[in-house]
Amino acid sequence: MNLTRAILRKAAWSVFTILFVIILNFFLFRVLPGDPARAGIRDPRLKKEAVEMLRVRFGLDKPVINCFESLNPITLGDCNVNPLDTQFFIYVRNLTQGELGISYHTNRPVADVLAERLWNTVLLIGAGQILSIIIGVALGVFAAWKARTYLDYGAVAASLVAWSLPTFWLGIILLFWGSSNGFPLAGKATPGMSSMPLLQQWGDIARHMFLPTLTYTIVYLGEYTLIMRSSLVDVLSEDYILTAKAKGLSAFQILKDHALKNAMLPLVTVIAINLGFTVAGAIQIEAVFSWPGLGSAIYEAVGRRDFPILQGAFLLIAIAVIIANFLADLTYHWLDPRVQVE
Amino acid sequence: MQTTLQTVERSNPLGVRFLGFWNTFKKSRTGVLGLVMLTVIILVAIFAPLLAPYGRLETVSISDIYKPPSALHLFGTDDAGQDVFSNFVFGARVSLTVGFFAAFISIIIGGTFGLVAGFFGGRWENFIMRFTDIMLVIPDLPLMVVIVALTKPSLLNIIFVIGLLGWTTTARVVRSQTLAVKSRKFVLRARAIGASRGHIISRHILPLVMPILVVQAVLVISLAILNESALSFLGLGDPTTLSWGQMLNYAFGRGAMSAGAWWALVFPGFGIVWVVLGLTLLGQGLEQVLNPRLDTHHLMPSRPVVQNEARAKPVPSQALLEALNLSIHYVNDEGRAPARAVENVSFTLNEGELLGLVGESGCGKTTLMLALLRLLPSAGQIVDGRVYFHGRDLTALSEVEMNEIRWSGISIVFQGAMNALNPVRTVGDQIAEAIIKHIPLYPREGIPARVTELLDLVGIAADQRDHFPHQYSGGMRQRALIAMALACNPQVIIADEPTTALDVMIQAQILELLDLLRKKLGLAIVFVTHDLGIVAEMCDKVLVMYGGVTAEYANVDVIYNDSQHPYTQELLKAFPDLTKPKKKLTSIPGYPPRLDALPAGCRFAPRCPAVFDRCHAEEPSLHQIGNDGHIASCHLIERTR
Repeated sequence: MNLTRAILRKAAWSVFTILFVIILNFFLFRVLPGDPARAGIRDPRLKKEAVEMLRVRFGLDKPVINCFESLNPITLGDCNVNPLDTQFFIYVRNLTQGELGISYHTNRPVADVLAERLWNTVLLIGAGQILSIIIGVALGVFAAWKARTYLDYGAVAASLVAWSLPTFWLGIILLFWGSSNGFPLAGKATPGMSSMPLLQQWGDIARHMFLPTLTYTIVYLGEYTLIMRSSLVDVLSEDYILTAKAKGLSAFQILKDHALKNAMLPLVTVIAINLGFTVAGAIQIEAVFSWPGLGSAIYEAVGRRDFPILQGAFLLIAIAVIIANFLADLTYHWLDPRVQVE
Repeated sequence: MQTTLQTVERSNPLGVRFLGFWNTFKKSRTGVLGLVMLTVIILVAIFAPLLAPYGRLETVSISDIYKPPSALHLFGTDDAGQDVFSNFVFGARVSLTVGFFAAFISIIIGGTFGLVAGFFGGRWENFIMRFTDIMLVIPDLPLMVVIVALTKPSLLNIIFVIGLLGWTTTARVVRSQTLAVKSRKFVLRARAIGASRGHIISRHILPLVMPILVVQAVLVISLAILNESALSFLGLGDPTTLSWGQMLNYAFGRGAMSAGAWWALVFPGFGIVWVVLGLTLLGQGLEQVLNPRLDTHHLMPSRPVVQNEARAKPVPSQALLEALNLSIHYVNDEGRAPARAVENVSFTLNEGELLGLVGESGCGKTTLMLALLRLLPSAGQIVDGRVYFHGRDLTALSEVEMNEIRWSGISIVFQGAMNALNPVRTVGDQIAEAIIKHIPLYPREGIPARVTELLDLVGIAADQRDHFPHQYSGGMRQRALIAMALACNPQVIIADEPTTALDVMIQAQILELLDLLRKKLGLAIVFVTHDLGIVAEMCDKVLVMYGGVTAEYANVDVIYNDSQHPYTQELLKAFPDLTKPKKKLTSIPGYPPRLDALPAGCRFAPRCPAVFDRCHAEEPSLHQIGNDGHIASCHLIERTR
């Protein structure tokens, strides 16, 4: 299979997964009982007209889906409706136009609320991932190189502890520490900063980012260290490392030119698989530090039972993770020439 | 995940198997520590009512809000005036319950999916694995948040949501293990005699999948506990029970931070870390039993060379390469006796000479060759002897000085050509690397031409230069390694069984090539092989090794016509001779001795056809025969004289 075909296959698979998430998202919010828009309709105190008005407003007067006669032996929905006039079709049509509904709490379009917050989350995850990968790889390389010495045991023990920390708890502890050390405790910027010069604004943001990023880095550092270490130990016991040593290359040259790239391969896979967990970490960290991203949007939406926001945020996060996963796959292909001819 | 399945002997009763497992497990200090940590917290959860000074969710005094730790309240009080220590102890019950039950659901689902996919294959496998892939990409915590938010946040709901979403990795791991087990002999045999599928799964496959499932369960429990605490912290916990996450949610949301009540924030989190760390350590210990890793590699520092100071420092001869009384041991950390891999071996090699080093596998040939270049693995140690190259003692050089000699003075062609080349770099690039390292002044623009020339020398076309090793055939890779060995014009090439894995035609080509290069470039070659027939045509001298010692060392015609050691004679009998087509071929019964359990007396005695009493009692010394350097270690020589 050549490279283009492999990439096309992965791309097609990612698109299919996205479709699955879109359908899952629709049905989750209609099958499960919690949504107050529908709970409200069942309130016996409401007048008939009021119920009807609510149903129209949330589009609940339309049938959920068409019956899909040809697909399903069990009759689902009504067969006498126009499939273009079902809730499912309207949901998909709205999605293609970038409409995710209206927030119950702020009455603003969900898409606008999330768009503001998406980049803050990307900023936090990006900074945290880069730092944890760089430090994790460095520690892992160091531990592998010094395998079976006390430095190695220390690095492994610290990584295991870091891995075991609940993200939000570490956030709380660091927040507690930061509160007595002059760090800003919440948000992304000090109010009133927007009138300051740009450089000062950035400095302010960096100060606000410090604790959340530190939390993020520590939590993901451990896993990257452990994986890098075991992967590098495996590579360093390969025959071609002995060849490189016989060629008279120094330990540093062997690490740099023969071992690192090969040892990075499993790490790329783990980073890809971890992207889902990464989001889990971001939600917790944003909740603790009130960082205005998607995660705190979810946290606030849970507290306020603001379901359109929750639905939109879940969809956005899932799609972002699927795309990021696809990109990680591409990186793997680029790193390992062997995959191309498999 | 590949595992050493030999450790699980199926025919043994469960008790014996468990004992064997436990004996290996208890050597892992991390595993035992994890088990202890986990046991402690489980005991705390079980005996919670006895340990807790106050009742479950009992408000001690509404005026005692956020009181710091004291003798009365070991962990202080919380926002509702409740004793944090009591809540902590009861919280252990909630967190562990969620963890164990959710993991149970995940393991059952994941295990079933993995078994079905791996065992039945085909459409089932396709469908299950595709579904698993999809579920693996969808981020779980956001999905859990959505589902719990849309349903009632009761403990039961949380258990089910975490359980129903946590099975993906288990399914993958179990599937690959089932695939591995399915193709093993006893399963194939059971199928051949017509055992039912149910029987095969329950009696043959499940016992071998089980250990992996246990390791996986430990991981899944810890993830479930972390997920439960995160959900609770985000405000989706069961408000009627107080898990550690729920305690943190209340404390964080109700002003513990501004009240400075660190105790309400630290202790519940400490509980989570304790359990998760305990489980992680336990998982590491179990993994070590199933899949033992030595954690050794080629960059670990080698052990220092030891010299027998009692012996006078020898004077090097005029030879190009000379090994004198070389002894190499493999030492271990467990206090067992070292494996005496090579003992008191000497040889000399002059310019343009070809030395054949012959012996069965496990006779110390490769160890000896690696020691020449000081490339021994970290357990290997030169415990006596010297290596002279141009009269310079290589055993006394520093690592940096040694790197100068490697490849530019002595290069080596390894056996098993596949792994000897780096799979992610092109062959040409790997050859060029040696030139750049050792001939820094070589004009950079001339290097590609030089690499092409080297490849041409071994019969590889120029357009293959920029190909990766996996695009080469086995014979081509071996030839590429020879080209690489020639890159810096070394005086000596060590060829360590370069033809073992190749077919006869390619073998012949490679041998001819080496012989040709020797004549053309004046190289000296040490050719390691277990095939006496190969060396006959090309060698000048032959060194026969057995069990780490010199059996016989002589010129090639002496070896063939006047060998003194029974081992050499037996080796000769084991190979066909074209001039005597009717001659019966024989093989030597038995195997070379284990180097860490050598027999007393002569190492060859247990297999020797001419053995007599003295052989079992006394190790033969090296006997000089004649004046042309013929050496053999056998008591028979004294007898005949």
